[in-house]
Amino acid sequence: MSMTIESSRFGTLHFEDEAVIEFPLGLIGLGGTHYGLIDRNPNSGFLWLHCLDDPTLALPVVDPRLFFPSFSLQLGAEDCELVGVEDPMSAALFVTVRARPRPEEITVNLRAPIVVWEGRGHQLLNSAPNAELQAPLFAMVGEGAQPVVDAA
Amino acid sequence: MLILTRRPGERVVIGDDVLVTVMEISGQTVRLGIAAPGGVPIFREEIWLAVKEENRAAAQADAGALPEGTTSPAASDAAGEGAQRPS
Repeated sequence: MSMTIESSRFGTLHFEDEAVIEFPLGLIGLGGTHYGLIDRNPNSGFLWLHCLDDPTLALPVVDPRLFFPSFSLQLGAEDCELVGVEDPMSAALFVTVRARPRPEEITVNLRAPIVVWEGRGHQLLNSAPNAELQAPLFAMVGEGAQPVVDAA
Repeated sequence: MLILTRRPGERVVIGDDVLVTVMEISGQTVRLGIAAPGGVPIFREEIWLAVKEENRAAAQADAGALPEGTTSPAASDAAGEGAQRPS
């Protein structure tokens, strides 16, 4: 069984069963227990985590490892158990993006990353010391905004 | 709001499976121990509020709100196998 939704942002979206991510606890403060990832602009690094229960709910996300090579994730033992992964860095990781008009003002939430493992997603608190709630996604280089470091 | 008075070592039970224990009181600080089933999220309020605000702010973004083509080709692999791409 697959799912088709009428997204308020993107029109008709179709998700195969295996592309549906279950969020048993939803995202913190937001509803929805089923989401899908959309790649509207390949090579940009930005994805959209789209709620399948609410056609108006979608959040831009990035894999923090692409923009922050030193990104680390420290989860409590109970959270690791909840996710079901021994090494959380081996899971798919995403952080929410707070879009702003100027690229250098765009921030991401490294404090509460989304860990996706075996079709299930959880937004968890990262206790790593450098996990900022609003980490600038781009560093200023000269006149233009550039990625902090390109992913290897 | 239910208001209870408890001493160190005493507990409050919420439902059948959430136990809150007053561990220690020191000046203006109270240490609580919380036992809840796996999967029940427990947060300090200020962190929960801050993350909720970040999530809500992120969800305000329009479809065209993000810069284009800002990263290396490695970014294209970020989506994993499940991501839907424009045809």
